[in-house]
Amino acid sequence: MLFNSISFLLFFPLVCVLYFCIPASWQRVRNLWLLLTSYYFYMSWNPKYALLMLTSTAITYFAALGISHFAQRREKRLCLVVGLVLNLSILGLFKYYNFLASNIESALQTCGLAIDLPGFGYLLPVGISFYIFQALGYSIDVYRGTTKAETDFPTYALFVSFFPQLVAGPIERSNNLLPQFKQQHRFDYESAMAGIKLMAWGYFMKLVLADRCALYVDAVFNNIANHSGGSYLVASLLFPFQIYGDFAGYSFIAIGTARILGFRLMDNFNRPYFAATIREFWHRWHISLSTWFKDYVYIPLGGDRVGQMRNYFNLLVTFVVSGIWHGANWTFFCWGALHGILLCIEKALGIGAKKYSGVEKLLHWCGTFVLVCLAWVLFRARTVADAITVVSGIFTDLSVPSIDFANLVGVGLAMILLLTKEFVEERKSDMRVTQARHSFFDHIKVALLMAIIMLFGVLGGDQFIYFQF
Amino acid sequence: MKKFLIGILFIIIAFFAIDRFGGIAMEWVNQHTHDDIAPKMKHLFSDVKEEVLFMGTSRSNCHYVPSIISDSLGKSVYNGGIDASNNIYAHYLVLNHVLNVHKPKLICLEVLDNDYEKRENPFETITFFAPYFGHNEAADSLFHLAGTYWKYKFSHLYRYNAKSVSNVAGLMASVGKETPDGYLPCPRPQHHPAVLAHKRTSTEVDSLKLAHVQKFIDLCHQNEIKLVFTVSPMYIKVDTCHYDILKAIANRNGIPFLDYHTNGMFQDSPEFFYDATHLCDEGARAYSVFFVRDLKRVLEGCEL
Repeated sequence: MLFNSISFLLFFPLVCVLYFCIPASWQRVRNLWLLLTSYYFYMSWNPKYALLMLTSTAITYFAALGISHFAQRREKRLCLVVGLVLNLSILGLFKYYNFLASNIESALQTCGLAIDLPGFGYLLPVGISFYIFQALGYSIDVYRGTTKAETDFPTYALFVSFFPQLVAGPIERSNNLLPQFKQQHRFDYESAMAGIKLMAWGYFMKLVLADRCALYVDAVFNNIANHSGGSYLVASLLFPFQIYGDFAGYSFIAIGTARILGFRLMDNFNRPYFAATIREFWHRWHISLSTWFKDYVYIPLGGDRVGQMRNYFNLLVTFVVSGIWHGANWTFFCWGALHGILLCIEKALGIGAKKYSGVEKLLHWCGTFVLVCLAWVLFRARTVADAITVVSGIFTDLSVPSIDFANLVGVGLAMILLLTKEFVEERKSDMRVTQARHSFFDHIKVALLMAIIMLFGVLGGDQFIYFQF
Repeated sequence: MKKFLIGILFIIIAFFAIDRFGGIAMEWVNQHTHDDIAPKMKHLFSDVKEEVLFMGTSRSNCHYVPSIISDSLGKSVYNGGIDASNNIYAHYLVLNHVLNVHKPKLICLEVLDNDYEKRENPFETITFFAPYFGHNEAADSLFHLAGTYWKYKFSHLYRYNAKSVSNVAGLMASVGKETPDGYLPCPRPQHHPAVLAHKRTSTEVDSLKLAHVQKFIDLCHQNEIKLVFTVSPMYIKVDTCHYDILKAIANRNGIPFLDYHTNGMFQDSPEFFYDATHLCDEGARAYSVFFVRDLKRVLEGCEL
């Protein structure tokens, strides 16, 4: 079930009404209702894959119970490792097996060995990387002692499958979300209104900005051979806004739906294109994933409390793994590696060590935006060769792009609205959409956003990009 | 909870107020824009007065040169082909709107295999005509079939969704390239189509589409409009039976069917084509000369 589908617009109010009809003191019954609806939400894609989620949930549940049961560190570690290996095996099999097999076949072929490895014929389950990483984070937290093992299976199962953030995050932390399932949530006007505002803004970002950019970007990137440098340039400038609108839009809708139900999910985006350095970009983009990798990969590798070269190595490994997390393709590997290299260069040159202002900030902002855009080409292109064609085309064949002027006007209007709002928020942080300040004008703003979506939205029910990860 | 419900109610009221005022504003935009379709629709739905009307998709739009045809027939001619209008549903909808204001003496409908074949999303392109929702009952019945009727009833702004950015862009700059008589010349391309592909004839027939072909014919008969079906040249080879279903309907209703496609007209002259399905301006002019000669022949004895 997509957030931008009619079925979700019927499903969500029904979930809310019944949720709040159950007395707040019956929190367990409420949780069971949310668990039931979350599984229904997930099963609307493919019912069989709910079993996979249930398996992953059971593995991490019992692994965490084992960790808390045993006193010896060696046994605790064994429980953790078993949980990690089993979960990563599921992820590896569904997401990376075919990629690995085809690369091994190609490598052997170059050595003169023609071996045909068996393929894995199942589709990648929606959101598998998100819920497995959330469950893994929980196991590690229990092992570290920062979270107590959850003994109530339905509550833990709800933590893994909570429908607002199930298929594309934010990847929640156990110490933030799990305790909220134990609290009594009374209906709160301020939270509900904040949720509605977030949802309206999320829908605007997805339907008006992202899907309209997609009309041009997809036409170019899905048919590289029929376009030239000018079109590559325009598509490469639009894709950053497409992916931002798509993913941040999803996150806003997710956080908004959870907020209406009384749950606070972590922020996932903080105006990433206003970053003045690559490091700052990663503090603002997909925050739940970047902090996950920081806490569970970068710091365990030694983080920055090691020698300079080892620190660079840690950064590079973290970003390569982060790249591969997005998909089994060399483009994602290179995208992650490029960000890792850029971060190492920033660190080596001391860029971002001080706070910038004025013209200096503007120049850094421009430089960061250009580098991020170039990296996005790798992310969007279907192959590394396509990405190279696009980047070289931009620099060597800057012909007049074939542009649908009307669509460009639509994208332009959406961008003006987005950037104006973000610029105001950047200057005055109390103006954020998540702030709980609701007035007559906020109601008008929501109504206005709904009208803009009706008029300019691409209402074809397109997938969210991050669902494929 | 009470405060929240009042808030929601207020948002809904505010939305409807914005939606209705926005709908009025967009109607004005739609009437004054210079985008690729709206001015032609405005002409067809409000100002059309020509005696001979060409209808169909972009293939009609780009293939029939009214000045050539008008000079030969001695009648006023308007090319009412609408880009991407795609199939018979759109043509039937346009005809109903045209008949609100004017009865042409002759309609030449450029038909396609898409007028009888089963395809995905057959109603997709009638969304272009949603700005005229509520102006003609028969035309609106198509929105019932498409399942969008209640969406257009609910939101007036949504009626403009399919062409909103085009309408707004057309206010800022003229993006339409049509001539005043409705003809849209396709420019000479850098590369003419090179491969003459063979398209197989589909056996999956959409009976609802055929029913609307018949409705189109009946509506013309009721209004005493002479009707001619045409298929202009394409750089795609097809079986000789490709349009047999439409030819059978035409035959049954006494409608001339001028088919220049299955006999391979211009297929030895790729320089006349803009792409596989469209003639360039040079090709359209050459074709119009052929076409009007045959048209005069089939209309011999008819009083226009």
